[in-house]
Amino acid sequence: MAQLGFQEKWTLRFAVVGLLFLGLAGLEGVLMRLDLINPEALAGLQRALNIIRPMGQDASSAEYFYATMTAHPIVGIYGFAYMCVMGAFYFLVPFLLNKEVRFKKLVPVNFFLQITGVLIAWASGFFLLFSGLYTLYWPLPVSFDRIPVVGSALFGFGLMLIEINVLLFAYNLFATVLRKSNPSPGYSTGRYLSEAFGISRLVRLFSKKGKTEDDLRYDELPVFVVAVGRGSIDTVINAVVLLSAGALLVIYAVPAFAAGLYLNPMAIDPLIYKNWFWWGLDMVADGNVLMYAAGTWYLLIPMLVNRKLYGESVVRTVILADLLVSLFVWSHHLMADQAQPVWLRLFSGQFITWGEFLTMGLTIFSVMMTIWLARPVKFSPALKFALGSVFSFAMGGAAGVFQANIGLNVVAHNTQLIIGPHAHTMLLGGLSMLLFAVIYALIPMLTKVEIANNRWVDFHLWGWLIGAFGMTSAMGWAGNLGMLRRTLYPDGDFGPYMLVAMFFALLLAIAFVSFVFNIIRSLGWKNVINLFIPARSKAS
Amino acid sequence: MEKKEKLWFALLIVIALTFNVVTLTPAIPWQKWLLWSHPSPDKSFTIDMEDNEIRLPKGGMQVNTGEFVEFIATSQDVTYGFGVFRTDGTMVFQMQVLPGRPNRFLWKFDTPGLYSIRSTEYSGPKHPQMFVKDAIQVKS
Repeated sequence: MAQLGFQEKWTLRFAVVGLLFLGLAGLEGVLMRLDLINPEALAGLQRALNIIRPMGQDASSAEYFYATMTAHPIVGIYGFAYMCVMGAFYFLVPFLLNKEVRFKKLVPVNFFLQITGVLIAWASGFFLLFSGLYTLYWPLPVSFDRIPVVGSALFGFGLMLIEINVLLFAYNLFATVLRKSNPSPGYSTGRYLSEAFGISRLVRLFSKKGKTEDDLRYDELPVFVVAVGRGSIDTVINAVVLLSAGALLVIYAVPAFAAGLYLNPMAIDPLIYKNWFWWGLDMVADGNVLMYAAGTWYLLIPMLVNRKLYGESVVRTVILADLLVSLFVWSHHLMADQAQPVWLRLFSGQFITWGEFLTMGLTIFSVMMTIWLARPVKFSPALKFALGSVFSFAMGGAAGVFQANIGLNVVAHNTQLIIGPHAHTMLLGGLSMLLFAVIYALIPMLTKVEIANNRWVDFHLWGWLIGAFGMTSAMGWAGNLGMLRRTLYPDGDFGPYMLVAMFFALLLAIAFVSFVFNIIRSLGWKNVINLFIPARSKAS
Repeated sequence: MEKKEKLWFALLIVIALTFNVVTLTPAIPWQKWLLWSHPSPDKSFTIDMEDNEIRLPKGGMQVNTGEFVEFIATSQDVTYGFGVFRTDGTMVFQMQVLPGRPNRFLWKFDTPGLYSIRSTEYSGPKHPQMFVKDAIQVKS
């Protein structure tokens, strides 16, 4: 393996820890699936785990189930996805701009703070049985008659740490792009933001002035960096909103725990809160994920097929449209709220959400045309997984816009149709396969080591793809028959469907294990362990 | 934009427009009254939710097929859901029940029978218990 530099080493560290979190999120998923097959299946295990729990000795199966359900997305999104994204972007953005990361000391800070925040939020569920779910619908997480107060405080604190860390990461990313050090010229903050929101372009359009030299220089920013920049605007908004939600939990829980002082939860209007929260939360689901994914395709695919991106000027506009759309789509999460004004449900919830169909449709067209025009292409591991992610985003996206409909939502809202065919297809098929593609592409770049066994790559590909679609299809079918998400059925209703989902979930797990072993085999156990040993310790 | 891109974009727009227009019409039956006609209800029932319990109106809920029935669900503490289910478990409709305000939903049953109510939103670990079997009786 080649000698690793500072950035290469940290990128791999982020990836390794991200994959460990994916394993943990997967394990939580399997445990919940077992509960859905038979709510008492884990009773013995939970009793055994109570040895290391300070509370919850007489908790019900439902309490354990919902505590797991609360931790699961935090570990999956902020543990796995964000860690991998941080690692990848910390390498790719400086690499493409031929610069160094602006604040190198922030890189390890981001690494440890993210792990700490995620583990604290996870621990609030595992040890303290906090079960407010990631949705944190007000005032549930501060309803201490049913939610453990200490768990609420700890979860809020963990969430705050995560979001502060995300803000630091975004700051470092922007600072790196704007950096004025040689050999690359820098960009002014105002001008960069103006470009990110497309304001400069609009001004040019209406003033009918030609492009200045400065305009041309901004136009030459790699399309990946443009996507990262625009996606990171959503990342910042998401972090600010979720930081405020975490702070609210701490503000309500700490006085209650420390002094028995219970603040009035209804001082905050649940509907206004829900709008604020979903506006921010959706900046991930319908914002940065789509833009980061598009940007990564725009970078990876041309690199892998050795051809210029098809329709590059169009996709720059598409990324801008993606950003604008992402700012106004949150109401599709409030379609079942009759108190939400109907015009918001219709325009924000339905029509603007369908804007994503157009932007993602154009993105996918551009990517597929690039591959088509580059034929014959070599189907490298990274390209196979990139194609898997394109397919999955298309399928999961179609399921999403189908449900973002004021009429159909009446029978689809909060069913397994949402969380299976839409959310988990996007996350397991779309996002995860793209992150696997990035890992497969980056490992040879960073380490000069080729992936050891291509058969294992193919097993990983098909096992993961079939596992993801099999699992989400079984969930979707159960949803079609009335199975709700976030509901534990005491009599094991829908058990057969969950059994099928479990079979495919295990296939996912086996595919994941084969991937991990293949990567470790390629790099060598010793090199993987050495990644985490400080240079000074190794020297001594 | 190249010609192929224009064609593809046009196709996407046609699909988006068609789907959105069709689903706003009575092709989805309940759109007729939820979105367009807004008829006055023939009957109205208030359902209160608190402490993970569903409190039905005294005297139960009996309706006739073809009647417009308004369900008003209220919550005194956290967000719940109000979902009506057939005996085979499939969902008829649902809405969110936000605390501190009336949550109204208008429905017209077209099939006689017994319908159950289940909270469709998580409201704490006792959420799975929020189920009332055969809560609504629909006669022809």
